[in-house]
Amino acid sequence: MKRFALLLRNEFKLFRTAIPVHLIGIFQPALMFSLIALVLVTPTFEVQMEPPVTALEEQLFFAMKQVGSPIGQPYIDPVVVETSNDQEVQGGQIIRFERDAGRETAVQQFGLIDSNMVKNFRNRLTAAALLIWNEELGGDAITIEQEPWLPRDISYNVYFGMAMLPLAAMLASSLIGAFLTAQEFEFNTIIEYRLSPTSRYLLIGARLFRLSLTGLFSGLVLMVVIGVMTGTWPSSLGGIGLILLAVALIGSCIGTLAGLILQKTLPAFLVGLTFSFFTWIMGSAFGLSSGFSGLYEAVSRFMPNTYAVELLFPIYYRVNTGSSLQAIILLITVGGVLFLVTNITYQSRVLARS
Amino acid sequence: MENVVSVFSVTRHYGEVTAVDQLSFEVFPQEIFGLLGPNGAGKTTTILLLIGLLRLDEGSVQILGVNPQLNPRRVHQSIGYVPQETNVYLDLNAVDNLWHHAALYCEDLSTVKPKIQELLHLMSLWERRNDPVRTYSGGMKRRLALARTLLHDPDVIFFDEPTLGVDVQGKHVIWEHIQKQRELGKTFIISTNDMMEADQLCDRLLIIDAGRAITLDTPENLKAGLGQDIVTLQTSLPIEQPDEVFQGMNIGAVKSLQPGLIHFEISHAERWVEEIINRVKDNYHLEAIRIARPSLDDVFLEYTGRGLRD
Repeated sequence: MKRFALLLRNEFKLFRTAIPVHLIGIFQPALMFSLIALVLVTPTFEVQMEPPVTALEEQLFFAMKQVGSPIGQPYIDPVVVETSNDQEVQGGQIIRFERDAGRETAVQQFGLIDSNMVKNFRNRLTAAALLIWNEELGGDAITIEQEPWLPRDISYNVYFGMAMLPLAAMLASSLIGAFLTAQEFEFNTIIEYRLSPTSRYLLIGARLFRLSLTGLFSGLVLMVVIGVMTGTWPSSLGGIGLILLAVALIGSCIGTLAGLILQKTLPAFLVGLTFSFFTWIMGSAFGLSSGFSGLYEAVSRFMPNTYAVELLFPIYYRVNTGSSLQAIILLITVGGVLFLVTNITYQSRVLARS
Repeated sequence: MENVVSVFSVTRHYGEVTAVDQLSFEVFPQEIFGLLGPNGAGKTTTILLLIGLLRLDEGSVQILGVNPQLNPRRVHQSIGYVPQETNVYLDLNAVDNLWHHAALYCEDLSTVKPKIQELLHLMSLWERRNDPVRTYSGGMKRRLALARTLLHDPDVIFFDEPTLGVDVQGKHVIWEHIQKQRELGKTFIISTNDMMEADQLCDRLLIIDAGRAITLDTPENLKAGLGQDIVTLQTSLPIEQPDEVFQGMNIGAVKSLQPGLIHFEISHAERWVEEIINRVKDNYHLEAIRIARPSLDDVFLEYTGRGLRD
């Protein structure tokens, strides 16, 4: 135990041999989340419009204000602006009204925005038009009701951040693990390990445990950032810790394996980076995999992040999404198998005589 | 005297190339044993074979009575290895490097702290112990590598090119440390192609080339085996009949280089130098006497040739 504690302490001291990699691995996900949450993920769109004059235009203005999520989050924030007809709409959009022989048309003019944003505006404005239409139709209206599954409305930022928690654990552990391990070969310090009479299970165990703790720390940093930015905190800190630790163990093994096999820092670093982002994107990064295509869902079943997100979901949303037991067993099994594979690879790449 | 290291017909091939070819030798306790050879002679490969990091194709090795190929962990407990390129963590300080080694090698961790302090003082690194190793000179790094190896108190230390890239002052300090440790009971096997190091440090030298053992002896015997000392005399009056003048000294053939300048071979010139001076100083007005002795450089070139080894 004393030796393991000393090995662990030494492992943490190796931080000084790769400070930039540690900073990237630990803080990159939190930084990425902050930027995306601030800049990109905004459910309420500002829609600029000319001052409404007629009754119908007023109706559209108020209908736009009513469009929102079933639980009440507004999707449109109409902003009345005074513009001349020839003013260019460069960065965004504006709704102008055309009145021609008793027919009124709301014309939305777009500036430099992409097709996805056009689709988003169209969806929102269609919803506003539907509200007006339904009022006209009265009892003949087409009624669309959306019943929320979740007991409370949680912003997309929270889901997005929650799904990034496994990425944070995976990225820190695999990047740092890959770099530190490959560095041992580049600086020839691996000789120290090759000749050591200490059990390889202790040596590998200390490194993987240290990397897993680093991954956990990265996840906890992100968790705090999510909490501060969205006001949403998990219901169980212990639960989050265990889930992230399991993911971080997988990342640690992948990173260490990359370092042992490639023995060069740059390629090993890239393997850690690619693996982390691939498993994040394909593992319910932007929504639960069941909401996507069959192919995506099938692939996502092979991603540890998918199971981690399924386990994190109840902690953030207080709702179960799948079999927690199955997810737990899968994460532990994958972590255990990778631990053994890492040990075998260490034996063949470090200890075996060439 | 029981051998610390016994090597029998060790052979190692890399594809078509035979890196070590039928090498056999023994190393005795408290000996500083040198593997001397040109670049690519197989010195480092030999050390890696001895410590069990490389597989033997033929032959066998015993270190302290244990075969490192069969029982590497037991051997690794009692040996130390300092590779040619100093492999310490450059961004850590000396103390952290030593603690790192202790966790990997030291059986009793409770004695490590005072031992680290002792070794840092011994190697004159105490004042700089908290500085990153990156800021150390080449000699300091080598001393740290030696301190690290001594930390787990090995009986046999394999030191690959101990003073490679180290300045003259640094070399002498490292040699002193090696000799001091030998007095404390350690056995050293070093590889080198530094003639001064081989001459001053090693008790015995195995000259190897192209993986083969060329010769094995003490530096003195190797030099003596190459030939006798050469005495050159410069006098103002030419020595007409030198055989008569130096009768009874058993000198070799005398060559006259120019009037008043002769040279001849003689064994152990230092024993005869006074007598030589006495016999020529009055009658021939001795102006200068020079004694040249074969150096280890001469021995090395004699055995390994003058061709470049890249």
